[in-house]
Amino acid sequence: MSLSSALNIAQSSLKATSRQTSIVSRNVSDGSNPDYSRRSAMLVYTDPGVSVVKIRREANDLLFRQNLSALSAWSGQGALAKGMDKLELQVNGVDNASSASTAIGNLQKALQLYATTPSNQNLGSSVVEAARQVVRSLNDGTKAIQDFRTQTDGEITTAVNDINDLLKQFEVANKAVVSGTRSGGDVSDALDNRDAILKKISEYVPISTYTRGDNDMVITTGDGTTLFETIPRSVTFTPSAGYAPGAVGGQIYIDNVPLKTTGVTDAPGKLAGMLQLRDNVTVTMQSQLDEIARGLVTAFSESATGQPTLAGLFTWSGGPAVPPAGTLVDGIAGTIKINPAVDPSAGGNPVLLRDGGINGAVYRTNPNAAGSGASYADRLIAYGEKLTQPMAFDPAAGITANSSLVSYAASSIGWFEGVRQQASTLADTKEALAQRTGEALSNATGVNVDTEMSLMLDLEHTYQASAKILTTVNQMLDTLLSAVR
Amino acid sequence: MKTTSVSSSAMSNAMRYSQSRMQAELVKRQKEMDTLRVADLGLALGARTSQSVTFARDLERLNSIVDSNKLISSRLSTTQDALGKMGDAAQRLLTAVTTAASGDPGSNVTRDAGKAALQSMTSILNSSINGEYLFAGTNTDVKPINDYGAAGSPAKAAFDAAFVARFGFPATDPAAASITATQINDFITNDVAPQFLGAGWKANWSNATDQQIVSRISLNETTESSISANTDGVKKLAMAATIVNELFSGNLGAEAKKAVAQRVMTITGEAIGANAQTQSQAGIIEQRVSDASDRMKAQIGLFEKHVVDLEGVDQYEAASRVNDLMSHIQNSYALTARISQLSLINFLK
Repeated sequence: MSLSSALNIAQSSLKATSRQTSIVSRNVSDGSNPDYSRRSAMLVYTDPGVSVVKIRREANDLLFRQNLSALSAWSGQGALAKGMDKLELQVNGVDNASSASTAIGNLQKALQLYATTPSNQNLGSSVVEAARQVVRSLNDGTKAIQDFRTQTDGEITTAVNDINDLLKQFEVANKAVVSGTRSGGDVSDALDNRDAILKKISEYVPISTYTRGDNDMVITTGDGTTLFETIPRSVTFTPSAGYAPGAVGGQIYIDNVPLKTTGVTDAPGKLAGMLQLRDNVTVTMQSQLDEIARGLVTAFSESATGQPTLAGLFTWSGGPAVPPAGTLVDGIAGTIKINPAVDPSAGGNPVLLRDGGINGAVYRTNPNAAGSGASYADRLIAYGEKLTQPMAFDPAAGITANSSLVSYAASSIGWFEGVRQQASTLADTKEALAQRTGEALSNATGVNVDTEMSLMLDLEHTYQASAKILTTVNQMLDTLLSAVR
Repeated sequence: MKTTSVSSSAMSNAMRYSQSRMQAELVKRQKEMDTLRVADLGLALGARTSQSVTFARDLERLNSIVDSNKLISSRLSTTQDALGKMGDAAQRLLTAVTTAASGDPGSNVTRDAGKAALQSMTSILNSSINGEYLFAGTNTDVKPINDYGAAGSPAKAAFDAAFVARFGFPATDPAAASITATQINDFITNDVAPQFLGAGWKANWSNATDQQIVSRISLNETTESSISANTDGVKKLAMAATIVNELFSGNLGAEAKKAVAQRVMTITGEAIGANAQTQSQAGIIEQRVSDASDRMKAQIGLFEKHVVDLEGVDQYEAASRVNDLMSHIQNSYALTARISQLSLINFLK
């Protein structure tokens, strides 16, 4: 060993220390970036005394995968729960104030009042007004549901575009990783970038990944469809311009395989969540509204011996015929309306409701001659009873097939709130899981500024000592040279 | 080497996350404390929300029926009152004809008593409440009884025509004095009675329907809730009063008038009996309505209790939860401030 080798070692130590300091500074500067993995410097000794710094990137594959699947579950469930909250407000209103059930309750009250004083025409008009609220609730509900479906369809289009963009970005990032790995350079930044894109993709669909040689990554969806392999696979979707009740929406194809959805309340990714909102929850809600509307037309229909049963207070696009019993009629909740014959604002006569005869004098049930019998209440009482008598509903709409119209309307709210409660509870647990796995991943791979600071102190000392050695050796050499002179 | 590690961002994120959770929770609990109901009914009850919706609707319905029962009760008590007055009128007529049967039958006092009975009966039967004629059956917008005293009254015309058809001269004709008691009795039985107890009643006297107003008085109970003018009591009282009014003002002989007075006594007696019968009917309905209201009020109390059980929040619990949350949040703020100061950088000077 000689003084010059001491000088060399001190020099390489200075170099290594400054390299390490730059890593510490990078760690500190990216400390709050959730996609950043902590780098650490490893000293590798080549020649005796000469050290080279190698950079190691902290990674934890297991935690990262857990976090990916938790993220995807949470984002799907969150989309589902949020969508249901929105639907609840739009269709049923705050505290169910604009729901069909509430409106029918008010109609019952108005009927009761009118039945007690049938001679009071104003009460007849108020029954028609209460009926108009029912119609408005059903029409608005239908419109809200179909608008919601159309909006969701638009959101799916945006999401599909996003995921295609992300896959393209992923291709670039993956190429950078592969070529970096082949040339033996530092790929940490490229890996960070690729992981960040993976997190974003997993919000849309649940994914699983595996890494081949040269760090090349392949992505498949949860059910095994290839999403990326060397090149991105296309995700395609054909949006619809607008939705009508009963219309079926387009599928999402990943690599030409249709994306599957399961159940109503559990969504494994944003795309699946939106598909479920568009095709399951809203469709069932709409058919329940349709069944309520059909029930109303039937309950208020008029019949007479030897005559066909025809629509009364409520009529619809297929009126004056009454829709077939026990069968769902798509979109009837959107076309149900007050019969103009009893609507005072359309020149009709609400008294026809009391006496019968909306469809002509044959249907009159008041035994007194036209223009008399002002306190005939039997018919009004019968309407009130029909609302509480059991009738047959289409089981396709998802609730008990045999119940009264009023309890059907209440059950419809119960069904929806049941679904919403499940979706919301699941969203809470999945959010907690995503949060927890994110925390665990961050703890394993993230930066602790205090650790970096204490590292920096060490580095400072090393640097000072090396510098001291340099000056000391310099002094020694000077002393030697001056002796020679 | 790394043993346990906590990343700086995980630390601050965890704090931020729990703070935002607690704040969201605080908003809900605050709402619960203000309204004493669960903040989000749907999320709290899930599929059982339909129960709460049904309870709320049934409550509204019960309350509206209780209200409408008040209307029915007032109609029935007015009816009861009117029936009582009609009984009084019949009683006065009975007193007058009893005097006539035993004392001076030719007196105009008897005729006036008949006229008065007829008038008060007509005005009682034509009384209305709330714009509805009480005794009109379901035909409540038409006066149930035609005024006998009005010009061109069909009832009077029919009576006069029947008299002329039977005897060949009107009752005011002097020849009427020769009519015997048997003849006049026969006239009352065969010609006058059908005008009241037969088809003549609806043709000349009454516009009321036999059908009465039917009302729903509880969730599943309906009842007739009015009295029609077409009851036997009314018909017989009208018959008695009309006979007195017409035959005592004519030129009938004393014997015939006495026979008429005796006959009218019987008819009025029957009318009073029938009227009492109707009164008790009205009373039974009144009782039913008030019973139904009482039952429904009890039901309302029960339902309200159920609703509170379903969606209510204990106010003490709500208040203590709000307090707990507030102190938690405060602690969390204090900790956050302390932890953020807790950095090695502060000591590296």
